[in-house]
Amino acid sequence: MAGPVLELKNLHKELPRKDSEPFQIFKNLNLSLRDGEFVSIVGPSGCGKTTMLRVINGLMPRSAGEIFIDGKSSKDLDHQLVMGFVFQGASLLPWRTSLKNVLLGLEGRVKGVAEAEQIARKYLDLVGLSGFENNYPHELSGGMQQRVNLARALAVDPRILLMDEPFAALDAQTRNFMQLELLRIWAETKKTVIFVTHMIAEAILLSDRVIVFTHRPGTIRSEFKVPLGRPRSMEMRSDPRFLELENVIWKQIEEEVNSSGGFANQ
Amino acid sequence: MNGKQNLTPTLLRIGSVIAGLLIWHFVATVVINDTAILVSPLIVVTKAYEMLVTTGELYPHLFASSQIFFWGFVLAIVVGVPLGFVMALSVVVRDYVNPWMTTLYTAPRIAFAPVLLLWFGIGAGSKIAIVFLGCVFPILINSYFGMRVVNREYVELARSFRLNRWALFSKILLPASIPFILAGVRLSIGRGLTGVAIAEWFGATEGLGYLVFFAGQTLNVPILFVGVATFAVLGVIGFELVRRFENFMTPWRKSSQGV
Repeated sequence: MAGPVLELKNLHKELPRKDSEPFQIFKNLNLSLRDGEFVSIVGPSGCGKTTMLRVINGLMPRSAGEIFIDGKSSKDLDHQLVMGFVFQGASLLPWRTSLKNVLLGLEGRVKGVAEAEQIARKYLDLVGLSGFENNYPHELSGGMQQRVNLARALAVDPRILLMDEPFAALDAQTRNFMQLELLRIWAETKKTVIFVTHMIAEAILLSDRVIVFTHRPGTIRSEFKVPLGRPRSMEMRSDPRFLELENVIWKQIEEEVNSSGGFANQ
Repeated sequence: MNGKQNLTPTLLRIGSVIAGLLIWHFVATVVINDTAILVSPLIVVTKAYEMLVTTGELYPHLFASSQIFFWGFVLAIVVGVPLGFVMALSVVVRDYVNPWMTTLYTAPRIAFAPVLLLWFGIGAGSKIAIVFLGCVFPILINSYFGMRVVNREYVELARSFRLNRWALFSKILLPASIPFILAGVRLSIGRGLTGVAIAEWFGATEGLGYLVFFAGQTLNVPILFVGVATFAVLGVIGFELVRRFENFMTPWRKSSQGV
């Protein structure tokens, strides 16, 4: 497939306000992802990066601009499941077991209960949760819950995976494990990923490209190709190229925060 | 939860019941010592045994009251749950029903009893209506509330999976509301039994409410207490049944012990 998998053209989002100009969240977003690419978005908090994911997924309407998936307008694809969304919080349904949570997107789409279950089991196995099919979310650790979350999004075999700070609520150690796990799973499934995070090191470790957003209204300030080979490892975090990139990105985000009035304004 | 942890609360409950009965016995036999005002639980138990086993005269009352309670309660669920859902899903319906709901919910039910009697006659209809009025509001309000407070993330999740409206309802909104609905059902048991008592005070010829009322009028304190105790036992049994049903329906919640 030659063309980009996902393409954003002049994507714009604003919220109407009473008695004043509309509140601009992000503007002039132009971005294209090739097949199987892992792209992270970083930026000062409140820059609209999460909102961008939600607009791409259709959870919120856009104000202007176009979204193309494999060259087709996302508006024509709305009834199809071309995107999987991994939410930040505990979005697992507490009344469903791991298996049933993964089945959520498959029910009614895959013919036959047995077949759907087989797919769900396959993805639970992929995320390393074989044997936990019948556990309820409250019986699982935070890391395991996010594994189920990931399996659920992947099980419908989406073209694009949208991930909204999926590891933000995990402790540092679990987060590191999950980053490596995500890389392993990504290598196996070959999905195109947009990964939103506020952690620069996480973005560099995971991605082919890191996109830096400006402060609100967010737009793309710069983008960096990560100069590291694959497979990635935790040791790479002390690679000079890693550290230099981390430094450059941090400086840019710092500038963005300062030009918006500093941290006190956040 | 293992057996050892469960033992202490159970012992505390049994101890509490025994202590209560002992105090009752003490107050009845020593402090008051007048069987025209208060009788010992021993006398109540003896009388209850007599009415259940020897004469069997309690059964018609028990049966009559249970039947009225059952139909009023079931009707309240059948009407309350769907109406609560519709109110939660439609602003128009909510605004339409709300003033009536508030009025009927806050007005004392006992004041309605004569009116309902006038409308439905002294048969089962008016009694069931009184029980229904007592049960329906906790169920209605909880069904409405349960569906209103469903986590927004779950709704977004449904959207991200492109679930249709029916799937959103049946897979997200309904299961998320069940704990609320059942809590409402549990609350309605006490209110329903109150309804039975009120209903049978007016022009009834049988039923536990009639039994209590009649015993009170004729100063038959043992029968009076048997009637009251039967109400209490029914309440406890009903409450416990619903609690078990809740645990059965929502195995994903840590089991809800006690209240």
